[in-house]
Amino acid sequence: MQVDGLVVGYGSTPVLNGVGLLVPAGAGVCVTGENGIGKSTLLRCVAGLQRPDDGEIRVFGGRPGSTPDYWRAVVTTVEPPTWYPGLTAREHAELVCRAHGQDPAAAGVDDALEQFGLTGHRDAIPASLSSGQKQRLTLALAFLRPSSLLILDEPEQRLDRDGRALVADLIAEYLKTGGSILMASHDDDFAAASGTDITTMESLSPASSSSPGPTT
Amino acid sequence: MTTVAVRPVRRWIHQTQVAHLERGERFGTFYVIVLSVLILGSMFWNHIHGLVWPTHPDISGLAAGSLTTVLTGGLYLALRRLGPLAISRPAASWLLTAPVSRRRLLWPSLAVASVFAFILSAVAALAITGHASPRPLPLVLIILGAVAGLGVLLVALAAQPGRRWARLLDNVVALVVAGGLAGLVADAAVGAPLVSGFPSLVGPATGALALVVGAFFVLAVRNLNRTPADRILDASRTAGTLADSAFGVEPSWVADMLERQYWAHRKLRSAGLNARLPVLTAQDLRLALRRPRRLLWLMLATALPALLSHAPTWLLGIAVLVGALLAAGTTAANTRSDAANPVMLRMLALSSRQALTQRLIVPAVLAALWSATSLTLLQLLSALPPGPWWALGLALGPVGAAAAIRRARVGFVDNSLLPLETPMGTVSTGPALASVVGYDLLLLGLPAIVLIAEGSPLTWVGVAVQVGFAALGARFYLSGTTDPSRVELAKPS
Repeated sequence: MQVDGLVVGYGSTPVLNGVGLLVPAGAGVCVTGENGIGKSTLLRCVAGLQRPDDGEIRVFGGRPGSTPDYWRAVVTTVEPPTWYPGLTAREHAELVCRAHGQDPAAAGVDDALEQFGLTGHRDAIPASLSSGQKQRLTLALAFLRPSSLLILDEPEQRLDRDGRALVADLIAEYLKTGGSILMASHDDDFAAASGTDITTMESLSPASSSSPGPTT
Repeated sequence: MTTVAVRPVRRWIHQTQVAHLERGERFGTFYVIVLSVLILGSMFWNHIHGLVWPTHPDISGLAAGSLTTVLTGGLYLALRRLGPLAISRPAASWLLTAPVSRRRLLWPSLAVASVFAFILSAVAALAITGHASPRPLPLVLIILGAVAGLGVLLVALAAQPGRRWARLLDNVVALVVAGGLAGLVADAAVGAPLVSGFPSLVGPATGALALVVGAFFVLAVRNLNRTPADRILDASRTAGTLADSAFGVEPSWVADMLERQYWAHRKLRSAGLNARLPVLTAQDLRLALRRPRRLLWLMLATALPALLSHAPTWLLGIAVLVGALLAAGTTAANTRSDAANPVMLRMLALSSRQALTQRLIVPAVLAALWSATSLTLLQLLSALPPGPWWALGLALGPVGAAAAIRRARVGFVDNSLLPLETPMGTVSTGPALASVVGYDLLLLGLPAIVLIAEGSPLTWVGVAVQVGFAALGARFYLSGTTDPSRVELAKPS
């Protein structure tokens, strides 16, 4: 995944100004920085959910888009899902597996729910869960289905200490199996535990870095 | 604990809210409202007069009784849905939690609901009596209707705290409404005799009922203090959403609210999705099976077009098509969710064409079964000539499905469109367009409307024409509004 000269502004306020970033296949990069510096905007652009004012983004050699092929390879939690009515948490997980041709039992739906502490809420309507439980369910779905690139926006948010450790382990495991990760986080310890390379938003703009790329 | 008087607080809130208004402004609003009522009243006076007070009685005793049952049950269910006690959302946030008398806080709401129930019931009683009773009209029946309406309000009020019997009563009333509708259908089918007179006991019965209702009303006012806060909050949220939806001309907020309220009180048990069906079809099927009450109502509603058996036949065709759309809409919430926010569609990584094709199947089956049953019933009731009407009904499945899916995809009303100036006044284009989206696709059922309106025996050629219209229409709708290389249902702007 490569970003070159990315420019995004909201009205007259520039948020990203010539940002560059390279995430090789199988690598993980965690972008840190203060609130409002443009981390989520960068992730939204890479996920193809926001059109930049200028610059080039290449994901797996092509432009990020809305094609089924792109979304078969990419999973993002940049936007919170709208849960389907009348479908339980477990059935959401089963739906995602079946849509990707996986057998829910073989894909480990029940194990994933247990891992994320959702076994007791498998029959709950996701809309009725707490914000932390919704975050756990979203992440469970993201890790359950096959993908090659995860784009995660502050995955540690609303999680307790055990939850953070679990997600960090899952990210590390995902990287070991050859997946790539781009995520934003406020928690350096979490980022370090997940095995991703940490970089700051400031270091991605041309004024502070001559060659785009994360610092390890 | 010290209790603070509510009235001065409310007066202060009101005065602060209207402080920016000039003195004449409120009189101006009052003048516009009175003038509008007078103008509209004079314009539609003949229609209103004909509707509630025809020259001669024209409906049977069975129809009058059934109509009374349906309207009474409908009033109860509507009041239960609205509360019936509700206060504004700001009042629920600030006054419900303040040390004020709950009785005084809720009294204005009870007064408004009482006046509403009394007037509405009186008008309904006047209309039913006007249509059914021999002349001169027995005015005591209108008073009986109005007092009964107040009684219905008191029952709904007693049910508001969520007592165990309330849910049971809701179900019984729903059954009673269904019975009333069945009575109306039976009347349309057999043509029951007109009413010849009323028993002399009606007068004393009305007096006795008025006494009982009056006594319970006093008791209800005394017990207002015991209304639980959570029920008032629920009712306030409902009233707030209805007000938002009306002022913002955005009906989708009400649809979302009803959907949330329905699932919030359901206890579900995870069950596997049918692996032999396409994944989204299996999901739709699961949703439909989890709404057994709606399916039951739809099944009963297949008889309702028979009420129009004496109306122009083209109207009968339109009624069947609208019914097909409503039947197909049973699973529309899934499509509405996908159209509003495509995050789950991206997670599933299905193309918009795959998704919509899979989403059309369950609605098409429901619409086909509904139309086939409805047309068969009409044929059995001799409202239709001989022919394979069941087959024509099945052919309407894709029409109902495409229309329901298009309606589910409508999204928010576009209020940025220019208003249309007409001799009757200004028409907001956005809400007007949004209100017909979906129903416009029912034009694909035009052959069926023509075949029903003709009144000739139905041939297989006619069925084949409708099959062709429905199949081609659904196919064009799919190919024109979806893309195999796009996940989102909406085209990117």
